[in-house]
Amino acid sequence: MSLTLVTGKSGELKAVEYPEVAESPRFTCALGGAYGATLATFGAVPILHSGSGCGMANAHGLTYASGLNSGGAQGTTTTPCSGLIEEHVVFGGEDKLRRLIDTTIQIMKGDLYVVISGCVPALIGDDVDSVVAEFKDRAPVIHVKTSGFIGNGYLGYNLYLDAVIDSLLTEVEVQKKLVNLLGIVPNQNVFWKGELRTLKALLEKLGIEVNTIFSDFGSLGSIKKIPAASLNLVFNPWCGVEAAQKLEDRFGTPYINFRFVPTGPKDTGTVLRAIARKHRIPARKVEALIKEEEQNTYRYMEYLSEMFMVAMPHSFVAVVGDARTVISLIRYGANELGWNPELAIITDNPPEEYQKEIEKLLTSGLEGVSVPKVLFEIDSHRIRQALKAKPLQVILGSSLEKYIAKTENEAHHLSVSYPVYDRLIVDRNYAGFRGGIAMLEDISHNFAGPL
Amino acid sequence: MTKDFDGDVLDPNYINLADNTCPTREQRANGINAFNGKASELVEKAKNGTLRNCERDFQQNSGCILNFYLTVRVATIRDAAMIIHAPVGCSAPAAIYREVFRRLYTAMNKPMDFDFHWLTTNIGEKDVIYGAADKLRFAIEEAERRYSPQAIFILTSCTSGIIGEDVEGVVNELAGKVKASLVPIHCEGIRSRIIQTGYDAFWHGILKYLVKPPTKRQDDMINVASMLSYTWQDRVEIARLLGKIGLRPNFIPEFAKVEDFETMSEAALTAPVCPTYTDYLSRGLEQEYKVPYFLYPSPIGIANTDEWLRTIGRMLHKEKEVEALILEERAHWVPKMDAIRRGFDKVKEANGGDFQVMGSLGQGRLVTQTPFFHELGVTTPVALCQDFDELLLEDVEHLLKRVGDFDIIVNTFQAAEVAHTARKYNPDMILSCPFQGSAYKREKGMTRIHALRGDGRKWSAQAGYAGAVACGSFLLQATHNMAFQNTMLAKTGDPYKEWWYQQPDPYFFHKKSDGREEAV
Repeated sequence: MSLTLVTGKSGELKAVEYPEVAESPRFTCALGGAYGATLATFGAVPILHSGSGCGMANAHGLTYASGLNSGGAQGTTTTPCSGLIEEHVVFGGEDKLRRLIDTTIQIMKGDLYVVISGCVPALIGDDVDSVVAEFKDRAPVIHVKTSGFIGNGYLGYNLYLDAVIDSLLTEVEVQKKLVNLLGIVPNQNVFWKGELRTLKALLEKLGIEVNTIFSDFGSLGSIKKIPAASLNLVFNPWCGVEAAQKLEDRFGTPYINFRFVPTGPKDTGTVLRAIARKHRIPARKVEALIKEEEQNTYRYMEYLSEMFMVAMPHSFVAVVGDARTVISLIRYGANELGWNPELAIITDNPPEEYQKEIEKLLTSGLEGVSVPKVLFEIDSHRIRQALKAKPLQVILGSSLEKYIAKTENEAHHLSVSYPVYDRLIVDRNYAGFRGGIAMLEDISHNFAGPL
Repeated sequence: MTKDFDGDVLDPNYINLADNTCPTREQRANGINAFNGKASELVEKAKNGTLRNCERDFQQNSGCILNFYLTVRVATIRDAAMIIHAPVGCSAPAAIYREVFRRLYTAMNKPMDFDFHWLTTNIGEKDVIYGAADKLRFAIEEAERRYSPQAIFILTSCTSGIIGEDVEGVVNELAGKVKASLVPIHCEGIRSRIIQTGYDAFWHGILKYLVKPPTKRQDDMINVASMLSYTWQDRVEIARLLGKIGLRPNFIPEFAKVEDFETMSEAALTAPVCPTYTDYLSRGLEQEYKVPYFLYPSPIGIANTDEWLRTIGRMLHKEKEVEALILEERAHWVPKMDAIRRGFDKVKEANGGDFQVMGSLGQGRLVTQTPFFHELGVTTPVALCQDFDELLLEDVEHLLKRVGDFDIIVNTFQAAEVAHTARKYNPDMILSCPFQGSAYKREKGMTRIHALRGDGRKWSAQAGYAGAVACGSFLLQATHNMAFQNTMLAKTGDPYKEWWYQQPDPYFFHKKSDGREEAV
């Protein structure tokens, strides 16, 4: 974590002693991230080796917090969990885990069983790998070694991919036009399902086959197909990058990191052109697609333009959320809507080595005179103070901003980043050509009304 | 049974506020997490001390004593701050703190200050090696600087417990240095298999650090600990009924102010909405400050609401007022209940004479909801209960006398056991707690047994006379159309293998616990 500064009583800047002590950070723990990724893998059964509340905490604090979603058929109370208590702390939890894996395979349908170990086994030193190895002839069982104290939900996604790559992938024949999508983090990125679908549909129009890994049926098949890709696409400035690098090292699959999911025709066109070039798809084909989609999108923008010009033209805007969401919406607002970005608050705690690049992506390539102030901040109290200090007309953030946006900023608010407790998000998303229209539809329902 | 040096049996319900926390429900009341049999047998075994906790080979998510849901409850205390001394995931559910209660209608007498505050100490890898006491100290001071709270609640976790954090040490060091009252709550998830232990731990902290000796008696004030499974409308109804006989509820803990806890000692009475939830608090207030209490019945259903009011009337010498109130209320509500029962008569007629309802309940609901089903004219082939302990023994005996013997399954939210039981009994309607995975997929009926606290609709009420009618109407409405449940069953998969349903006993995978005798 980088140095967090606050203003002292006499106006001097001073470092916060423990910046990680925070009000409502916007992520769950690493166990939660791996749990979310497993639930997103259709056909996989998570097995939590943890205290009995870790799954429920993440049911309410992760899946439900990402657009009021259920965890699916293997989520909430259905998820097997070893429910460790004091006697396991004293005598070890390995035997309990062994019996849990054994019975889970007997009772629950699944083509992949994912043991996710939490704080308790990490602290008491359970040898989870050895227990998991005992089942290698019975069913595919892998182990994601997390524990809640080693990092946040985004790290959990990375660790899940790590375990998948190490435990399940073998060399397969490379397909010419097959890509994997990385960096769209289940649940922590609240629009993950819709974004994967949108990107898949778009690329299929170019004749490219897409492995979303998550959300499709038969995910074990999708996982095994990962090394068959001709190219990996990362849509996140930091999360998922290690997995792409690992796949390149191990299977020689090159990757492009777009760093964010494109919203609106301008950025979507750029992304499509880059992918087409890499696959040697003729320019006329991709240009024809872009032209058709653009025409359609801007034709429909005309329908919303008058409402837009009344309610929120050239607004001062703040975007609060994970880095990739903030980048895509700051860019769309500045480059397509004529908004003036004031604040970009990054809440997913990217490792320091990625922060400069994120800042650059947020402060260059923007139309208009405004350059947003970029803050890396996990503390919802300091985020609130930062928002309060700016005149703002639009706040794109989480549901934590819902009420303070109205009372403290008179700003229009829309939840676009975790946590989202104020709207149901199934496959709604703001990716692709028409993503911006969808966003404007959603933000407008609050105030657009009779004259 | 615990005995002292002279061999005298110690009162297991003595609350020792010199201790840092409460005993577990296992220690205090022989709480169990598993049982499958007749209610009469459960009572028998509880009496002769042969009930045992059990270790499940196959176990599923069920919540822990921190996350069922102290994090969400404590965060709603209005002028307080909460600190979760834990890794970051333990407090994730509390991210809803700027949402809860917000959607309530302003016309419903809701207070306006919604600014809740909490911090996580965000225990990390270094902290588990070197300790996190400095961080906790910083968090307490930071909470004071930022929020100027009246009280700071410090909630512990598995990790803080295992690494041996000296929370009391930090609290003693800072008490008096910060203005806020500091209230440590020992809710390490590993402490207990029984979720109720978490509530006892919470009340222990409240009794020890927050409740003040009375400066006066407030003869019209009744402490009512309400729960997240009863909604805002239930508070409105309870306040309405008490108001008519010159009394007022002091609702805790959700949405209370710190002062409301401090003055609990001045109340005339502590009355239950859920006996098992309120037990420790009620006993503590009686033991320390002579505030009388009763635990049964809760104001659920017409007859229980009558009896709840009568008990209050007896204890506060308002018998006449209560009888007049009951007459007045019954004249208004009973005809509506009769209409609902006639509705169920029609449903039963079309269904071959009977309509069976299986409720998934806390043990508090077990003793309140079952008589309510009988008022509606529906039958209950089996009661599912989260956990069971001896605190409710008399009440279950009382229930047996009232409604006769019935099957009971104690199962701490075990979804596969519930699915198995549902298949076996195949009741016409299953009532399940919210957030129960795939339980809604059925050929027959299924609905939720309750809404959650922030639901302000009269439709979702349960308590008092208005709640009985609302809840009865809701259940009747649930019999009208099962398309969602049927369609989802037909079109999506079941997470369990057919093999599981073929096992004769849903407790197939139970193991004896702690080296002691077989549990079930």
